[in-house]
Amino acid sequence: CVFAGLFGLFLLSLALSGAQALTPSHYLSLSDVARLQNLLSQQFTDLESAYYSVVGLTKLGATVPDHEIPVSNETRDLLLAAVSEDSTMTQIHRAVSALSSLGLPLASQEVVGSLTARINKEDNVMAITMALQTASQLSQQAELGGILEEIEDLTARLDDLGGLYLQFEEGLEATAMFVTAAYSLSDHVDMEPPIKEDQVIQLVNSIFSKKSWDSLSEAFSVASAAAALSGNRFHVPVVVTAQVTSPSLSLSDSQLLVTDVISQPLDSANVVVESAYAVASKTAILNQAPFTINDGIFELNFMSSQPASGYYQFTIAVTGDSRLVANHVELKVKVSTEVAVTNMDLSVVDKDQSIGTKTTRVDYPSKAKSSFTADSHQNFAMSFQLVDVNTGVELTPHQTFVRLHNQKTGQEVVFVAEPDSKNLYKFELDTAERKSEFDSISGTYSLYLIVGDATLENPILWNVADVILKFVDEEAPATVQPKTLYVPKPEIQHLFREPEKKPPTVVSNTFTALILSPFLLLLILWFKLGANISSFSFSPSTILFHLGHAAMLGLMYVYWTHLNMFQTLKYLAIIGGVTFLAGNRMLAQKAVKRIAAEQSSRLAKYRSLR
Amino acid sequence: MSNSVISVISRFLDEYGTTTPNKLKVVDAYLLYILLTGALQFLYCLLVGTFPFNSFLSGFISCVGSFILAVCLRIQINPQNKGDFLSISPERAFADFLFAHTVLHLVVMNFIG
Repeated sequence: CVFAGLFGLFLLSLALSGAQALTPSHYLSLSDVARLQNLLSQQFTDLESAYYSVVGLTKLGATVPDHEIPVSNETRDLLLAAVSEDSTMTQIHRAVSALSSLGLPLASQEVVGSLTARINKEDNVMAITMALQTASQLSQQAELGGILEEIEDLTARLDDLGGLYLQFEEGLEATAMFVTAAYSLSDHVDMEPPIKEDQVIQLVNSIFSKKSWDSLSEAFSVASAAAALSGNRFHVPVVVTAQVTSPSLSLSDSQLLVTDVISQPLDSANVVVESAYAVASKTAILNQAPFTINDGIFELNFMSSQPASGYYQFTIAVTGDSRLVANHVELKVKVSTEVAVTNMDLSVVDKDQSIGTKTTRVDYPSKAKSSFTADSHQNFAMSFQLVDVNTGVELTPHQTFVRLHNQKTGQEVVFVAEPDSKNLYKFELDTAERKSEFDSISGTYSLYLIVGDATLENPILWNVADVILKFVDEEAPATVQPKTLYVPKPEIQHLFREPEKKPPTVVSNTFTALILSPFLLLLILWFKLGANISSFSFSPSTILFHLGHAAMLGLMYVYWTHLNMFQTLKYLAIIGGVTFLAGNRMLAQKAVKRIAAEQSSRLAKYRSLR
Repeated sequence: MSNSVISVISRFLDEYGTTTPNKLKVVDAYLLYILLTGALQFLYCLLVGTFPFNSFLSGFISCVGSFILAVCLRIQINPQNKGDFLSISPERAFADFLFAHTVLHLVVMNFIG
């Protein structure tokens, strides 16, 4: 039973965290809206620009001067004729828009038929979007269900970028026009569009992330989408921003601007802090505290509950309208304060504690009148407390440093002062132990206390006293060399791969001669065997063959010395071809001779046997 | 033991001298030459080292390849094997020998570096 309850709580918290997952990261601030209006107010030179300007400005709520356009019967017939399967989607859209804005009657069912046919033929995003837009101008009695389903199909075609953005690959204009058309049709038929809340926010991010627009049509599409997202009947995304009033980045009184995507304040909304807790200690400080609306800005007096300095996580809910989307927001609030240093005590303590310590109290921001001397037998000690000016609570800021700066050599050494269990800061300098940090350079050092933190409004740099340090084994005080980090380093000589050790030339030459010796042996053997070239027939094919063969061997040598494989193959093909043909001829002649000889010898043998 | 070996060898040499036709003896002399060349290359490699290895390989493989092709030629032009090579005349064998050698030397020259 308990388990089920816990599980339920777990699911609930998951659901809540899921709902709070996505909030708009981009929207049109007032300056963005002004810029958009400016772009749309440019002088228009053609009908298309006029359309974008007039309609765009109207959507943003700006006033547009009236224009009277007289219509003749021919024009009306032309427009009606344009509504057919054979016109393009753009033509149908423009004709229907013209007819409806001129107040002329339309045959809505016919238009639906033409639109459905065109959607099948022109299956791209812009065409279907235009169909949606056209349908929103038709009579509500017409069968718009089929066209309404296209919204869901198009939503599925959007590309999800990193979970934050949702847009068509055709670009910003297509996405913005789709949003406009989808909401315009949904409002017209009074049916909620099948776009999930997270998807709406992702669309908002995509459309309003671009703050300067390339063309009039792009500006028009953004203006249309902005109007659609702030004024439709189903989804109105909420944008909550913290109003920064004071120059320091804290919120002394939490002020929030709660607006729609074009920075129009949602006055009728109800803003409540559902919970707030300190990030460091996780203790809750607020629960269900309402904001009061004051001149368009929602305010909460938070400081009256005297929170300690630090970071707080606020969960804010905006209610009051069922259309609101992304109305749970998480904000991080920083409460900063001022710090004061109290009970700053400086003393020089003998190591063997034989001489009593003398403590000098120094008050911020003055400096100790006398300087302190510490040699190798003594320690220099410092203790102080850091308190919050407003509340008197002890603080432990992130940065508490003690800096010793040698006035003569410019050397500085920085130590960290750490608090003990009672939040009392202590710093001890053991002269003998720390001499390596100082390079054993004795002299007068200025002692500074540095205190800083993200939540402190008054960081402290305080020259507390002068300390004279005496080190044993002092080296000749050379001027401190700044660390040579950025000096050109010694050049590295690249070591090329050592070629392998070759044997001495004598050895190679000897062996070369040795290897050529079997050739001599061959010649001798052949001579002994009686191999001869006596049957050398001087026919042209024979000569050509031998020449060609010699040429091929010569080519091999040239290949080794000069050529590459491709050139060799080329020459080889030529020479080889010639040699082959000649050789073929020659061998055929030889074969004929051989067969004739064999036959005659056989004949002779046969005759002798007989 | 060694006596019989010597007698076998001398008998073999006698028979070889008398029975093999001259043409085959010419090819055999060529085979011996190739063998010696290859062996000497190998000896050099053992003694002095494998630098440059690609040259050694190409030379050695040239010897081995030539030896094999010459053996093939000897087999094919041996009149005693005529029955096995009815479609291949000695001239054809020689032509094949030359062609194969061309390809072998192309590869060897490429690799010799």
